[in-house]
Amino acid sequence: MSDKEKLMSMAEAIERYVNDGDILYLGGFVQQAPFAAVHEIIRQGKKDLTISTCAGLIIADQMIGAGLVKHLITTFTWNPLPATAHCFIRAISNGIPKRIELEEYSILALTLAYFAGSLDLPYVATKTMLGSSFDWEQNNAGVKNRLKFQQSPFTGERVCLIPPIKHGVGIIQVQRADAYGNAQVWGILGESRFGLHSCERIIICAEEIVSTDIIMRDPNRTLVPGFRVNAVVEEPYGSHPAPMAGYYDMDWEYFAYYERETRTEELFLNFMEKWVYGVENRKQYLRLLGEKRLKSLHPEGFTSEPISYGKLTSHLELGNG
Amino acid sequence: MDDTAQTATAIEQMILSAARLIKDGSILMVGTQWPIIVSLLAKRLHAPNITICYEGGVVLGKVPDRIPLLTADPSVNSSSTLLGGILDTLGMVLHGGRADLAILSGASVDRYGNINTTCIGDYNSPKIRFGGSGGACDFGSLASRTIIVLEHDKRRFPEKVDFITTPGYLNGKDSRARAGLKPNTGPYAVVTTLGLFRFDEEGEMILTAYNPSSSIQEVKDNVQWDLKIDDNVKPLLPPSNEELKVLREQIDPQGMYLRNERFLEGKPISM
Repeated sequence: MSDKEKLMSMAEAIERYVNDGDILYLGGFVQQAPFAAVHEIIRQGKKDLTISTCAGLIIADQMIGAGLVKHLITTFTWNPLPATAHCFIRAISNGIPKRIELEEYSILALTLAYFAGSLDLPYVATKTMLGSSFDWEQNNAGVKNRLKFQQSPFTGERVCLIPPIKHGVGIIQVQRADAYGNAQVWGILGESRFGLHSCERIIICAEEIVSTDIIMRDPNRTLVPGFRVNAVVEEPYGSHPAPMAGYYDMDWEYFAYYERETRTEELFLNFMEKWVYGVENRKQYLRLLGEKRLKSLHPEGFTSEPISYGKLTSHLELGNG
Repeated sequence: MDDTAQTATAIEQMILSAARLIKDGSILMVGTQWPIIVSLLAKRLHAPNITICYEGGVVLGKVPDRIPLLTADPSVNSSSTLLGGILDTLGMVLHGGRADLAILSGASVDRYGNINTTCIGDYNSPKIRFGGSGGACDFGSLASRTIIVLEHDKRRFPEKVDFITTPGYLNGKDSRARAGLKPNTGPYAVVTTLGLFRFDEEGEMILTAYNPSSSIQEVKDNVQWDLKIDDNVKPLLPPSNEELKVLREQIDPQGMYLRNERFLEGKPISM
C-alpha cells in the first residue's frame, strides 16, 4: 500500500481506523503527543478502549475522564506541572466516571514490551523491576501485570521476563510526512519507534505534508516507513498543549489551567465542553486559543547545518584501473 | 566580604547539599523535578564535566538556556548532544551499566531507602494515588548509586512504604541480591530539607548531617521509626553567597523550582 496516497481528514482517519474495544497506542514521549487525534476519538465516542502509552500525562487523563477507557497500560499518569491528573485519580480511587483496569510498568520495561511486540519476540529478559512491588512474586502488592520471573538458563540469576505488547492501532503527531505515510520526526524520540511498529494499523498526524523527495533527502529521520501506515492527516498544532520540536513550545500555562479546571467532575465536563465537544475540529480549537497565544509558543530558529548523503548516479564500472 | 551573609532557604540548602554529592566527570541519569535543578547546579559550580542523561533519550551538551521543568522539556532540544530514544539512555546507558549515579525524587521513602511514587494504602483501592513509576523503578533497580532528593515531611518517611515503586535495600542489604538485582547497586544518599542520610551495612538509613537551621532532634521527630544517627553527625555546610547567586540568578531566575512559580498559585489564568 506504499504507493497509495493516504491523506484524509482527522474525522475520517479516526472513523475508519479506530474501533470500539481497540488496543490503542498513543505515541510521543511528552513531545509529539497526538492531542488533536485523541480529541477526535473523544468526539466520536469510541468506547471500551485499552490505552497503551509510556507517558500517560493529561492525554490519557482526558480519555479516562471522558469514560472511553476500560484498561490503561502505562508507566505514569500525571500533569507535568507536576500536579495531579484529576480524572485518573477519580477513576482509580472512586470509579468516576467508571473503574479502569490498570497495568503498570517502568518506562524501560514498557519500552521493551513494545520492542518485543514490534519484533514479534516471545519475551525480553531484563534486570529491572526486580524486588519492587511490580515484582509480584517477591512482593505481592496486588498489581496486575504480565511480568514473569525466572532463573536465567545461562547464568542462573533471577531475571524479569517482559512480554510482547501489541496494539490494534497507533497514533502519533510528527513534524512532517509525505502523502504515503513516510513520517519524519525530531526532538525526544522516547519509545515511539517500537510503539508504532507494534501496531496493526497506524495513523500519522503531521504538522506539514511534504513531498517524498524531501523525505528521501533525509531518510535517517524517518520514524516509520510509509508501507506500515494507513492514514495521514495534516493537522498543524496537533500536539498542543504538548510541544513539537522546532514548531511550538510546551504551553505551561495551559497545564496549570487544566489542573485548575478539572478538579471536580463537573469542572472537567465544562472544560471538555469548551475545548473538545464544543468544537468540531482542530481549526476551531486553535481559534479558541487565538493567534496571539499560538505565536507566543513559537521558538526561535535553531537550524542544523545541511548534510549530504551523497548521490551516486552512474552504474558501476569496475576493473578499469 | 562575609561569605555566609545570605541565608539559604531549606529548599536551597537541599538542592546544594545534593549537588555537592555529585563528583565531576560522572555519568548521571537524572529524574524529573528536584534532580533537574540539582544536577544543573552541580554542572555550573564544581562539576562542569558531568554528563547528564534523561530517560526519554537525552544526553545534554550544556546547561539549557531555560531550566527544564521536566526531563522532556522542549528546552533540551537545542541543548543536547544526543536526542535519541529510551533504549539509548534507560537502555544502553543505565541497563548497560554505564551510569555512575542516578538522582531521583519521590513521594515517600522508607528506612531501607525504598521509594514510593505510586500510592498510599492498598494498590487497588488507594487512599492517595500518585502518578506512578515513570523511569524511577529502572533508576533504583539498575544504577550503581542512587541519590534521592525530597522535601522533608513526617508523612513522607514511613518505616515501610505501602508500595515499592523503586527498590532500595528492600528489607536489608542482601535482599537486593536475593531479588536478583545487580550487585553493587542501590541507594547512596537521601537529601531532604532537614538533612543528609547515608546507608549503613544493613542497608538502613542513617543521619550523617542536618540542615544548620534544623537539629538532630527535629530530624528524629520527623521520621516514623527510630532513626540511626552517625557518630560523626554534623551540620551541613551552608551555601556560600556565590553558590546562592548562581542558583538564584543563573539556574532558576524565574523561581520555577525555588519559589514554585510554575504553579501560578493565586494568579488568574485566562484562556
